[in-house]
Amino acid sequence: MAREAAARQTLFALRREVARIEGTLAERLVLPPVPADGALVRHSGIPSGSSAFIRTGVPRLDERLNGGLPRAALTEIHGAGMRDMGAVTGFAFALASLVLQGDASDGPLFWIGTEDGFREGGLPYAPALLRDYGIAPERLILSRVRKTGEALWIAGEAARLKAVSALILEIRGNPARLDLTVTRRLQRRAVLAGHPVFLVRQSSGTKPAGAEPTAAPVRLLLSPAPAGLRQTVSGPLPGSIGPPVFRVGIDKNRNGLPGQFLLEWAPDTHSFHERPVGHDPENDAENNGIVVSPSRHRPDLAPSSGALMALAEAGDGAPRGEPPGKQHAAHRGARRAG
Amino acid sequence: MASRQENNTRRIAALDERAEALGLKCGMGIADARAMYPAIEIAEEDCEADRRLLESLADWCDRYTPLVAVEGKDGLFLDISGSAHLFGGEKRLLDEVLSCFLHQGFAVSAGLASTPGAAWAAARFSLSPIREGKEKEALWPLPLAALRLPAETRERVESVGLKRAGMLLATPRAPLARRFGKELLLRIDQFLGIVDEPVSPRLPVSPLSVERRLTEPAMLQSEIEYLAGLLASTLRTELERRGEGARMLRLSLFRVDGVVNRIEIGTSQPLRDPALIRRLFRERLAALEGAIDAGYGFDLVRLSVSATAPFETPQAGLAGENADGEEELAMLADRIRARLGARAVLKPACMESHIPERAALELPYAEAAAGSLTATVRKSGQGGPLPPQRPVRLFGHPEQVDVTAEVPEGPPLRFRWRNVTHRVARSEGPERIAPEWWHAAALERTRDYYRVEDEAGHRYWIYREGFYGAETVHPRWFLQGLFA
Repeated sequence: MAREAAARQTLFALRREVARIEGTLAERLVLPPVPADGALVRHSGIPSGSSAFIRTGVPRLDERLNGGLPRAALTEIHGAGMRDMGAVTGFAFALASLVLQGDASDGPLFWIGTEDGFREGGLPYAPALLRDYGIAPERLILSRVRKTGEALWIAGEAARLKAVSALILEIRGNPARLDLTVTRRLQRRAVLAGHPVFLVRQSSGTKPAGAEPTAAPVRLLLSPAPAGLRQTVSGPLPGSIGPPVFRVGIDKNRNGLPGQFLLEWAPDTHSFHERPVGHDPENDAENNGIVVSPSRHRPDLAPSSGALMALAEAGDGAPRGEPPGKQHAAHRGARRAG
Repeated sequence: MASRQENNTRRIAALDERAEALGLKCGMGIADARAMYPAIEIAEEDCEADRRLLESLADWCDRYTPLVAVEGKDGLFLDISGSAHLFGGEKRLLDEVLSCFLHQGFAVSAGLASTPGAAWAAARFSLSPIREGKEKEALWPLPLAALRLPAETRERVESVGLKRAGMLLATPRAPLARRFGKELLLRIDQFLGIVDEPVSPRLPVSPLSVERRLTEPAMLQSEIEYLAGLLASTLRTELERRGEGARMLRLSLFRVDGVVNRIEIGTSQPLRDPALIRRLFRERLAALEGAIDAGYGFDLVRLSVSATAPFETPQAGLAGENADGEEELAMLADRIRARLGARAVLKPACMESHIPERAALELPYAEAAAGSLTATVRKSGQGGPLPPQRPVRLFGHPEQVDVTAEVPEGPPLRFRWRNVTHRVARSEGPERIAPEWWHAAALERTRDYYRVEDEAGHRYWIYREGFYGAETVHPRWFLQGLFA
C-alpha cells in the first residue's frame, strides 16, 4: 500500500515535470486529444493534422519539411543581401497567401518593420498584393516603428491574438535584442495562438543577419532565380520576364534534412510549382519552344527532377544534401555590400 | 526690473518691490532710472515667457474649475459657478487660491463678483467680494480705470470732468453714447450684469470628467495607473447611462508645485471598460517614462472624456467567451498607438492614381477602422482587365541610378545602384506613365517604367524620367521598386 502510494507520487511528480517542460497543466497531459487518424500530438496539446502545416504544394519540399512548414510556429526567412528583399518579401507574401487561402476567418496580415528597414528595402506595396497574391490590401496591417525593441514588442503582442491570420516581422541586421529568449517567446505565442509568425531577416550593410541562434524550428534561405518566360496564347514570349522564381534553401529543419529548391509562384492560381534546379528558361524556350514551366502543365516531371537535382548539387561542390556554398547562411560567407 | 522697447525709448515694463521702494515706476524711461540709480539690474522683457507662465498658471487653476480664461497679459478669469461648493464656499475657495499662489511665490490679488467686469475691478482695486445685485454700489466710488476702457476713451471722459465711474451712472446715457461711443456704455452694462459677458475658456470643456483629490501626493507610476482605473470605473456608470463610450480620454495630473501634465489617449472603438482604459494608460505612461517628472508628487488626478461615441453593446455568447477578433485587434492597435503614436499602426489603402507612389496610401489604423475589415477578395482576371504588374516593395523616394542604355529611349543595359553594378539580362517595357496633369503638378515628367532582371535573377523596377527629345535630352533614371 505504502509502496503503491510512493510510486504514484513519483508518477505525479514526473507528470508535473513533463507538464512544466511542455508548458501546460498536468491535468491537460492526462488525456491528450488523439484524433481518429492517430496524428502526432505536439506541444500544448495542439494536434498535428493536415491543418498543422502550411503545404507549399510542392511534394518534394513538403516531404523534406516533414509535411510542410509548421503553421503554428515561428519560421525564419533569410535574404542574403538587401537586394534579395524583393524575393524574400514575395516569398513571405506567397506563404501568407497560402495561409489566408485556407483561413476561414477574416483575420489580418500583420507586417511589422522598422523605419530604417523600410527606408533601405522599400515599403511593402499594397497594389501588388491583390493581383499577384490574392490578398485584399485591406487585410494588411502595416506597423512601422523606429526601434527594433518596439517592433519586437508589437510582434509579441500581436502574436498573442488569435484574430491575426499571419504575422510577418521584418528585422534588419543582427540586433542584440533578437536573442533566443525573444524568439522563443514568439515561437511560444505562435504555437498558442495557432498562426504562423514569419521572421524576415534583412542583412544590413556591415553585419550579416542570422549569426545568432533563434528558436525557430525552420529557417529558409531565400534568393531570387531567373524567371521563366511569360505564357501567351501562342506559347512563351521570348525575352519576357515571367512569374517570379525563388531559390529556397532549407538551412534549418526539424528533422535535419537540408535541401534546395527552385519554386515558381503562379500569380494566377496563387500556388507554388517546382522547377528543376539548373533549369535554364532561355535555352529551354529556344531549344524546344514548347513549354516554359513544365511543372505547371506536366506535374509528372517530378521524378526526373530528382535525378537532375543530384547532378546539380554534385556540380556545386557542396557536400551531399547540403546547400551549395553561396546559398549558406548569410553569416558564414563573405558577402558583397548592397 | 524688466525693460521694454517703446517707440524709441526703453521704458520700465515691470519692477520688483525693492525697485518700487526706491521710487521707480512702471513706464519710466530706463535712462532716467539709470541716472537715479546706476546699480539697478535690468533685463529685457520676454513676453513669450510671461505668456507661458500665465498659461501654466491657468493650467494649474484647472483644479478649481474647468472654465479658466486668460485675460490680457496678467489676468485669469475663473468661472466658479457650480464648483465653489466643492471647496466649502466661495470665500474659502478664494482664500485657498490666494494662499496657494502666495506659497508658490506669486503676488496675486483676486476679486470675486457675479460679473466678469465687476470681478476684474474687484481684483484690480482690492475690493471685498461684490455680492450679486450690489454692483452699482461697488462701482460708485471706483475710478474710471475700473471699467476696462481703452486709454483714449478714458482720457476723453476724464477731460470733461467725469473722474469717477459713479458719475457716469448719474449722467444720462444717450449723450454719453453719442459722445464717447458704445463701448463706454457696454462696459458699464457688463459691470452691472445688464449685458452678459461670456468668458471663453482656454481649453475645451470635456463633456464628462471625474477627479480625485489626494491628501498624500502620488508619485509612482503604478499609483497613477491605479487611480486611472479607479476614475475610469467611476466614469463607467455615467457612460452607461448615456449609452456612450469614450473615443478620447485625457488624464490630467496636477503636481503639487503647480505643473500640470496632460496625457491623452485615443481609441479606435468606443471604450467603457475600466480595465481596458487602465491598460491603455499603462502603455502611454510606459512610453512617456522620463518625460513626466513626478517631482513632489501629484495631488489631483482628473480623468476626462473629450470625445464620445455611441456604444453598441454586443450580445455575449452563452459560452461566455466572446470570440470577437476585431475588438481584440482594435484594442491592440490602441495600445500600440498609446505607446508609439498614431503612425505606428497603419492600414494601406489603394488610391485611384497612376503614379505608383500615390496609388497606395497608409492611413492610421484608427482612421481606417471606420471602414470594414471584411472586404471581398477580388480574384484577378475578373471584373475588367488585369491591372499592370507592380513590385512587392516600393521605395518612398525613388533612388537615382546610373544607367547605360543602347539608345537614349531604349531599355537599360547596365545600371549602378547603391555602388553595385548590375547587368540587365532581360527587360520588359516600357510602361509609360504620364504625369497627372489634373493635379496641378506641372513639374513632373513622363516616366517610362521597365521591369528588368539582372543576371542573378533580381528583378527591379526602373524608370526613365522625362520623355527623350521632347522633355529632356539627358534623361535621368530611377529605381523605384523591387519585384519578387
